Amino acid sequence: MPQDTPSPIDLPEPELDEAGLGWSFGVIFIASLFLLSANAASLRDWIDDQPPSPAQQQAAEWGDRWVETTEGLGIGLPRKAMHDQWKRAEQARFPGSAQKEGAADSPIND
Amino acid sequence: MLFPTLTFGLFFLVVFTIVWAANGSNEWRKILLLIASWVFYGAWDWRFVALLIGSALLNWGSAELIWYNREAPAARRRAIMIAGVTGNLAILGFFKYYGFFVEQLGDILHAAGYARDLPLMQVVLPVGISFFTFQGMSYLADVHAERLAPAKLLDVTLLMSFFPHLVAGPIVRGSDLLPQFEESPRLTRDMAGMGLVLIVWGLFKKAVVASELSTGLVDPVFFDPAAHSRLDLVAAAYGYAVQIYCDFSAYSDMAIGIAVLFGYKFPLNFNQPYRAQSLQDFWRRWHISLSSWLRDYLYIGALGGSRKGFARQCLNLMATMLLGGLWHGAKWTFVIWGGLHGGVLALERIWERIRPEGFPRLPRVLGILITFHIVLIGWIFFRAESFDAAIAYLRGIGTAGVASDVLTPLACGLILFGMAIHFTPANLGQRLALHVRLLPAWALGLLVGITILIIDSMRFEGVAPFIYYQF
Repeated sequence: MPQDTPSPIDLPEPELDEAGLGWSFGVIFIASLFLLSANAASLRDWIDDQPPSPAQQQAAEWGDRWVETTEGLGIGLPRKAMHDQWKRAEQARFPGSAQKEGAADSPIND
Repeated sequence: MLFPTLTFGLFFLVVFTIVWAANGSNEWRKILLLIASWVFYGAWDWRFVALLIGSALLNWGSAELIWYNREAPAARRRAIMIAGVTGNLAILGFFKYYGFFVEQLGDILHAAGYARDLPLMQVVLPVGISFFTFQGMSYLADVHAERLAPAKLLDVTLLMSFFPHLVAGPIVRGSDLLPQFEESPRLTRDMAGMGLVLIVWGLFKKAVVASELSTGLVDPVFFDPAAHSRLDLVAAAYGYAVQIYCDFSAYSDMAIGIAVLFGYKFPLNFNQPYRAQSLQDFWRRWHISLSSWLRDYLYIGALGGSRKGFARQCLNLMATMLLGGLWHGAKWTFVIWGGLHGGVLALERIWERIRPEGFPRLPRVLGILITFHIVLIGWIFFRAESFDAAIAYLRGIGTAGVASDVLTPLACGLILFGMAIHFTPANLGQRLALHVRLLPAWALGLLVGITILIIDSMRFEGVAPFIYYQF
């Protein structure tokens, strides 16, 4: 059966003559390492959501310590700053909106 | 296990490493992918892994029987194919439509004066059942028509179970994937670059645009339309059009991106659908793997398409879209949604036939606007809990006030963004991938990490399941 739906993976220019497996591993490794450092709070939250067990408790302690370490180094600050900005955007209202006045000024607690 | 979660991220890292480490043996590689796919599916409910295996056995066995009888009379081969398709439909019918049809039968009997207690059961719907049964049926039809030779049990099972497409498509046909299973794949920079672009773009559309519109605007308004103003109802309808596109196309993008990181190419599933100039054009751009499936196997294959005259062609279009609506779920609102699309598709064909020669065609912009708003009305039925709720919603647009209590500048911005991306160059992602593939691994790794960090800081707390998981 003729397929008239090409794959988006086929790029419109000739393929690079370079193997991509090691390169892909490198990209994924660096991205994971970066997120582990700059987004430690997400990892901690994920560990906290796991079913309780001795291993989970141990991991949660490591998670807390890792968050403290990255926050102490200031690595986690950009994510927090961007998140706060986004929360402000979420709470912004049009002038005269039917929602309670002052919603935009409500404290950002997450 | 949802794609935009850390659980899936860790699962992916483990599977990616193990599978590529086993690349020396294609058979072991496929076995590992199959086990990973069952773990992925079992994360919802382990019992349904048995259903998935049973379904694969049914289709593999039926295809083998068809092939074994290839010298036999055509009627026998056809009978085996029909038996196999019926088996698939029986699985789908029981899990997805049993409750619906028993309820309708009860209503009919009650209306006719035969009040009976029918055997109602709470049947749990296995995630993605509509996708893998359709895949199985197309495999049988292709083997029957000798477009495809029957594949090994391992390949057929992996075709139906491969985790990137398992729960919400695209519906990848045997002819697309089985030839790729025949030898160990390779991963090029082009493939990986485009895969990463699709994954990150899909993550943004789902975690930021779809989730924000869903929780902040669409869900509250559709939950209680009577409590909202005309402006809210209109905004939520537009919001849902953007949400469902950003939700479903995000899943497809991520599925295509994840599959290619394992070396397999899936076909395109969305192509800027809201820039369609007619409903026929829309269906060439929206959920392409389903619309092409319905066209090839139902509209042309089973119903005859346009081969039996114009009136029959229009009826076939209507029947195809009604069944396409029912494919989404056992609800009258889906049938009405399908009927609306089928009706307009038939009207477009009729107009093409009776249009006086020289009669001017609609300007492009007008065609896009009219088509989008027909689709938009269809989405109200698609999203509403019931037919009455959809009618109440439409009435509310005509009668309620204009003061808004849920429409925010952010929601407006996201709706405009969701529409604007339909009018960018169609191959923007591919052009980006052409640059991405040239970057050194460390630079691209940092870029991917930073982009995901930005998306994560914007996402709504928690991740709602993809809309199409329920189908």
